Amino acid sequence: MPGNCYVPISMTVDKIRTESDDRTLRTFDLSFRNKEQTFDYLPGQFCQLSILGRGEAPFGIASSPTEEGFLRFTVNRVGVVTTALHYLAQGETIGLRGPFGNHYPVEKFNGQNVLIVSGGFAFTTLRSLGVYMFAHRGDFADITVIYGARRPGLLLYCDELAEWEKRDDLHLHLTIDKDVAGWDKKVGFVPAVTEEVAPSPRNTWAVVCGPPVMIKYTLPVLLRLGFPPERIYTSLERRMKCGIGKCGRCNIGSKYVCTDGPVFSYAELQRLPEQF
Amino acid sequence: MANVEQLLRDKVEELLKEKKVSCVIGHARGSTAFRSTPVFARSEADTDGLIFDITCGNNLAQYLRRCDRAQGDRVGIVAKGCDGRAVVQYVAEGQVKREDVLIIGVPCEGVLDHRKVRDRVQDRDVSRCRVDGETVVFEGKDFEVSMDRSDVLSDSCKRCRYPNPPVYDVFITEPVEAAPEKCGRQELEKFEELGASERWAFFEKEFAKCIRCYACRNACPMCYCEECFVDQSDPQWFGKSTDLSDTMLFHIVRALHTAGRCVECGACERACPLGINLSLLNQRVEREVRERFGYTPGLVPDQIPAMAAYNEEDKQEFIL
Amino acid sequence: MSKVLRLDKKRLDEFVAALFSRYRLFGPVDSGGLMRFAEVESAGALRLDIANPDESAKGIFFPQTETLLTGNQGEVVPTQEPDRPIAVIGIRPCDARGLLMLDKVFGTGEHNDPYWTRRYRNALIVTMGCSTPRAGCFCNWLGSGPFSTEGSDIALTDIGDAILLEPRSEKGMDFLKGIPCEEASAADLRKAADIKERAESSMAGKVDVSSLKSALDRAWDSPLWDELTGKCLSCAACAYLCPTCHCFDIQDEKASGTNQCRRIRIWDSCMAPLFTKEASGHNPRPTGKERLRQRVMHKFNYFVDVYGEMACVGCGRCIRSCPVNLDIREVLVRFINAG
Repeated sequence: MPGNCYVPISMTVDKIRTESDDRTLRTFDLSFRNKEQTFDYLPGQFCQLSILGRGEAPFGIASSPTEEGFLRFTVNRVGVVTTALHYLAQGETIGLRGPFGNHYPVEKFNGQNVLIVSGGFAFTTLRSLGVYMFAHRGDFADITVIYGARRPGLLLYCDELAEWEKRDDLHLHLTIDKDVAGWDKKVGFVPAVTEEVAPSPRNTWAVVCGPPVMIKYTLPVLLRLGFPPERIYTSLERRMKCGIGKCGRCNIGSKYVCTDGPVFSYAELQRLPEQF
Repeated sequence: MANVEQLLRDKVEELLKEKKVSCVIGHARGSTAFRSTPVFARSEADTDGLIFDITCGNNLAQYLRRCDRAQGDRVGIVAKGCDGRAVVQYVAEGQVKREDVLIIGVPCEGVLDHRKVRDRVQDRDVSRCRVDGETVVFEGKDFEVSMDRSDVLSDSCKRCRYPNPPVYDVFITEPVEAAPEKCGRQELEKFEELGASERWAFFEKEFAKCIRCYACRNACPMCYCEECFVDQSDPQWFGKSTDLSDTMLFHIVRALHTAGRCVECGACERACPLGINLSLLNQRVEREVRERFGYTPGLVPDQIPAMAAYNEEDKQEFIL
Repeated sequence: MSKVLRLDKKRLDEFVAALFSRYRLFGPVDSGGLMRFAEVESAGALRLDIANPDESAKGIFFPQTETLLTGNQGEVVPTQEPDRPIAVIGIRPCDARGLLMLDKVFGTGEHNDPYWTRRYRNALIVTMGCSTPRAGCFCNWLGSGPFSTEGSDIALTDIGDAILLEPRSEKGMDFLKGIPCEEASAADLRKAADIKERAESSMAGKVDVSSLKSALDRAWDSPLWDELTGKCLSCAACAYLCPTCHCFDIQDEKASGTNQCRRIRIWDSCMAPLFTKEASGHNPRPTGKERLRQRVMHKFNYFVDVYGEMACVGCGRCIRSCPVNLDIREVLVRFINAG
């Protein structure tokens, strides 16, 4: 049915990779079964992954639109749908609806510095943003990425992060909560590391994505360092069903996280009723 | 009844003033003269709105479980027989401590089913509702409708065997006499005379009306599970749609989950926005528990609930 | 608009038969004591005298349970709709207005809900004015009234021995071309005007809700929420009977023993405890207070921000059906007065 936004697009599971040492995180690379159905998207958007018979759930797109031939998603196994996704084998077909939501305002970041602060498996859409910026490197000034996890085995995209470390056009700071043998990089919670290594707020935009507790303690650090609320962006999560602003479930105040978000500036969030 | 109301207000005011309780859960006038609404009296000023009459159909016991109060505070509850039974059952099930509740018994001769009234007054605004012996009179602008008490009472009240709370701390006036001859089991007995397929057809017709709003479950004092079986997704026991088989299973399973716990208050039936006959299932289960295990819930606070007990003599003819 | 026509009550059958010949016809019926909208084939089953059925008309266009897709993993088939469009007769002005609001939600914006639009946009709405508004009706508070014609294609008024038919849209006018009728006389029109006036003045005192939105803007932390929500049972009776509530859930089901699945849409309510509970276990609206606040805010504040009007038509069903008689009018008045 043309224009039926509830009908999923058929995707083939091309690649599966277990990301985390406890196997709760898996990354899937999907490609369109029907090449006519590809779509454009920007970093920050999400899709609903669908397994008919089990359900759907929203996932931030981890690939960048500059990477051709696949859409990447990292799935944390917590419930019915994510378990069904984890059971997928290479070559199987799943459904996808999207791209939904708004995106990181890369057009605002043009010519300016960008600070990415992230924790745990919230890093997915920030990978998309990072890769996008590297593909348009000349459009952005200094790029700093601060990314932390409880322990090394929970950091996403480790191989890629190793490549990112070699780049001389990026300040990359990886950190873990508690020191472990064999770890030669930073140790400390993300808010503390942010306070230590954040660039100057002048001409800098910040994008912060992580578990609620990390955001709660990082935002005050950024504000203290002089980042104004309009220049701090984050991506929110909510239980979702339709993804298109009809089922009434994901609103915060008069904004739907699925259509007016999931990307919001901190200034916008301050104007919404607190409901986190 | 006016006398009862004034005595009730005086008593609640006294209990609050003497700090014997931090709050009293009671009834107040609703948005029309034949509806009441639950109310929480925390100060002497709050007591003016307390009422007790034929309109007070809500089962207030469930508010005990979620009433705002500090550790060690006692909460009072205006209790008809069925509210009182629910409180006793809560004590038996470990949901509240007996010493944390002050049960204020009130003389109940049945409550009305507001759907029956609405139909008869044709949805006109009723400004006054009074009981005149066996007649209930509804008055509004330019009209007056009289109904026989038996036509307006909630069906559960016509079967009521325990009009007074079995346990109470204080009673406003005197307990009423139960009227055993009016405790009709006729509805159930008559229903059982029908054949199986007729009975099934009846339930299909009733439950086809259900829109799965769960007003019945939420109004029931015994349905207090943190996660109800219908809401579980892993595993998902039943579908959530209004497909008849899923809907019927919801009601049947709920009747089974309240086996030996249902205090026959009728709150479920009165809560249903579509007037579905819910209680036949509960009546049948109640009789089964009573005959099989000799158990009636909500009478004795320290009696182990039927479904939590085991007796060597329990009949097992359905297994063996 | 176009001229008002007059149909003798004796010819009502003919009118209904004409509707039935072109449309799948829905109207108010008595379903074993329960008043609801159902599909009908003739005038005999219709209860046009019922002031307002217990259930609203939204279920005709947005059913409680609706299959969106069927199939299995590889092959997904969206559900089709019968070709014949729908007509509803005897729907009251409040419900018709509610459908208009639902159309804003489902039929506008970046995405469009085809299951709704293909039904509603092709439908013929034949409203019946309310000669005797009920206790609990408060449509007059919300800029409407017992004879409002918003959302109506043909507006009916019962004047005793006849029914007046007022076409309110092209679709309505087109349909009436097929029903030979006289024009309503001046006396007929006067009678209708009288009935309308009597109905409007019979409604209980109107409250000015123009300051409600701004009062709610300031009311997020008001202690009134605790006071007003303490008795709420968090069921969904109010939301499901409401003509404008539109929240839904999407569930997947599998026929046992096969690999045939279906994806269904079912009504849901922000009042339900699990509505916003996330897979991690976190729930941004953990108690009844947050949920009732969400419901009131959504209908009387956020909907105004997004769609320019309050998502309430004053039908009074929530007031009548609430098991604990939580009266939305009281809630609104308390917030208006608290400023």
